Amino acid sequence: MRPGFIWAVIVKEARDLLSNRLLLGAVVFPALIFAAIPTGIVAFIEINELDPAQLGQIEQYLSQFPDLSPKLAAQGFIVLNFMAYFLLIPAMVPMAIATQSVIGEKTARSLEPQLATPMEVSELLIGKAIASATPAVLATWGVFLLYGFVNGAIADPALTSLIFSDVWRVAMLSLVPLICLLSVLLGIIVSSRVNDARTAQQIGGFIVIPVIGVAVAGFFSGQASFNMQQVMIGNLVVALLIGVALVIGNWIFDREAILTRLG
Amino acid sequence: MISAVGLGKRFRSLTAVHDLSFDVGDGEIFGILGPNGAGKTTSVRMLSGLIAPSEGTARINGMELGAQSQAIRAITGILTESPGLHDKLTARHNLGYYGRLYGLRGANLRRAVDRYLGVVGMSDAADRRVGGFSKGMRQKIAIARALLHEPEVLYLDEPTSALDPSAAKTIRDFVATLRDAGRSIVVCTHNLDEAERLCDRIGIMRGTLLEVDTPARLRRRNGTASVRVELVGARQPASFLDLLGDLPFVEGARVVDGTLFVEVTDPRGDNPELVRALVEAGARIVAVREEAVTLEQVYLDMVGEVGERDARSIGEVA
Repeated sequence: MRPGFIWAVIVKEARDLLSNRLLLGAVVFPALIFAAIPTGIVAFIEINELDPAQLGQIEQYLSQFPDLSPKLAAQGFIVLNFMAYFLLIPAMVPMAIATQSVIGEKTARSLEPQLATPMEVSELLIGKAIASATPAVLATWGVFLLYGFVNGAIADPALTSLIFSDVWRVAMLSLVPLICLLSVLLGIIVSSRVNDARTAQQIGGFIVIPVIGVAVAGFFSGQASFNMQQVMIGNLVVALLIGVALVIGNWIFDREAILTRLG
Repeated sequence: MISAVGLGKRFRSLTAVHDLSFDVGDGEIFGILGPNGAGKTTSVRMLSGLIAPSEGTARINGMELGAQSQAIRAITGILTESPGLHDKLTARHNLGYYGRLYGLRGANLRRAVDRYLGVVGMSDAADRRVGGFSKGMRQKIAIARALLHEPEVLYLDEPTSALDPSAAKTIRDFVATLRDAGRSIVVCTHNLDEAERLCDRIGIMRGTLLEVDTPARLRRRNGTASVRVELVGARQPASFLDLLGDLPFVEGARVVDGTLFVEVTDPRGDNPELVRALVEAGARIVAVREEAVTLEQVYLDMVGEVGERDARSIGEVA
């Protein structure tokens, strides 16, 4: 594995992405929207008095924050509960970039000249994977930091502490990059079978269903957020899925298959 | 130096190329002519280390195909059938990317990019995105990309397609200078005129190489040549047809618009005898000219002949 080749692919892909404003918008806007909704609710709670009757309805949730006032506990529940949606960004965005990248190459028939160079297929794929995953990881981390500090500023610094808890710091540093990688690999695999980016993204979009399922299940079970054990299990499951995707990707993306089926 | 022995490629039940054997020396341009589906692209892909052959071997500059494919790709330049450029990048960034993949860095890379943008006459458009380029401009950038790393072996698939006559001549002249510099060059083309002008030897392909020779020898070896004999005087040209029919080296004769056309196998050897016989019979000859067999005739005859003779194998290839 030669870093020079991978770096060349990353630079080329970055130039490509930066010239595609629509795709660039798709990286940033979903992250901002996922962060803006709970932040808006926190601000609404902050400037409005809570009805004790309403607080009674969500008492089971608030009991998870015994050290906080009811109002702050409600805000804490909101910010933590929406955090599961932060995992949607790494699940969706890299796939959009990866499918666009691979299908763009298929349409332009630009895979053959690249494979005619001394670069190995694995170097091309790793370069593409890193280039597709990095914007989503950076966007997620950036919005995560913004989310923590803005909510702390709107309501109380205690919210910042809740958001930047050990569990979520670990999730951001491990689960987010892993989900990004899985998303990219699935994007590449799906792209190898279809010829337009929209279809690829629609098929690949099924990846978000488990993430949404986890978030909704958390809400209905009354659990505000993940615990460390769940994050670790999540890491393990995603890592296993990456292993499966790598085997499939390696099988689909040998040089000859690319040239005769995709090129 | 390219040396292929018995190369073949099968895709499941489809035989694309079989028993391909030929050499291309240093400083030689070898043309491959063949109809669509004849296996030209597959052959180039095998020889450039892109796909593995199903059978046979080949050595490129002494390196063995398969075992040293990565090293072979490093010394090989390839102009693919389709330019395959990255539309969102500028011409300079496209070339810069490929230069890096071929191991060029820093000032060497910048120099090579500037040089070959100049060679293909695209310096003025260097910083424009290739997505807005015409077909010809894209072809020029693809040619520059193939040459960027000064490859020792060059495969050019339809190098001058989409180019205007002036640009096509520039490219042909440049390819000729590469030959003079000792590079081994393979040109796949449907342009028979270009093949004849550019190539030292030509292989006519249909699944395998049917015939390999210089353009001149291919013309001579395949089919009879027609000799045009213009006469003056009272005697009608048709009155010499019986005489011509008795000459052993004449394969046929006819009169078209008052001119005699005589088919012989070897015009250089047979024409003096032909003229002598006609003059002795009273013909007053004002001009004798060989009507050359074109490469196109040779190509069509050969491809058509194989089409009838070996229909089954051609069906498999196509």
